[in-house]
Amino acid sequence: MADSETLTRTEEQVSLDVPWNVIVHDDPVNLMHYVTFVLMKIFGYDEKKATILMMQVHKSGRSIVWSGEREKAEFYVQQLQAHQLKTSLEKAE
Amino acid sequence: MKAMPTLEGGLRIDTEDASDWELLRSILGDANGCEADLASRLGAFVSEEAGGADWEEYVVPDLREGFHDELAEVGASIESAIYHADGGPGPIWITRDDVFPWYSSLNQARLAIEEHFQFGPGETVAEETLTPERRAAFMRSKFYCAIQSLLLEYVMA
Repeated sequence: MADSETLTRTEEQVSLDVPWNVIVHDDPVNLMHYVTFVLMKIFGYDEKKATILMMQVHKSGRSIVWSGEREKAEFYVQQLQAHQLKTSLEKAE
Repeated sequence: MKAMPTLEGGLRIDTEDASDWELLRSILGDANGCEADLASRLGAFVSEEAGGADWEEYVVPDLREGFHDELAEVGASIESAIYHADGGPGPIWITRDDVFPWYSSLNQARLAIEEHFQFGPGETVAEETLTPERRAAFMRSKFYCAIQSLLLEYVMA
């Protein structure tokens, strides 16, 4: 019989994954109405929200159009690039 | 060349002579006119930190194939219309069913022209200072943009 015992304690730590931002960049080719149209089509945004984001792209050169889990963010970037919008993906700060 | 919306929600373009058909054919030539294709240029926006290498391997080929298919569809429509018009004046229709390949192809052409010639925002370009080659490209881009605007207003709305 052993005169000592080993106790094992398991602890779980859960932390939220860092969200990823989907960013649309301005370019001199894509028409403003088209950018609004694409944002409505892909994200289901209403016209008002899509127009605000489009204007951010136009005036500031870029806009975060969506934030969330990485896999979904990649899907959205792919969709936006398929519509020929200059789009990138970056970790939220 | 004249373009007008149809009662069915599409767009009809009437060419007046062979040069109009050549202008439509130039959509494909312009779209393919860049050293780096559009899929690669878009893929470059995904940084290494965000998985750029995987993006290049897995996503860019799909984008490339999609853009190529859209151009091929529009090219076939143009050639079919030229055939039916016997190379002379004649119509070509853009319906609601095929509006996205058309818009995409026109956009591919404009993006490639911009990539090559770097005009910037159209309203800032002094046309009279452009060389003949740059001026021709600029005018084609403006023509493609005009058709896109009609598609957005009357067909995609």
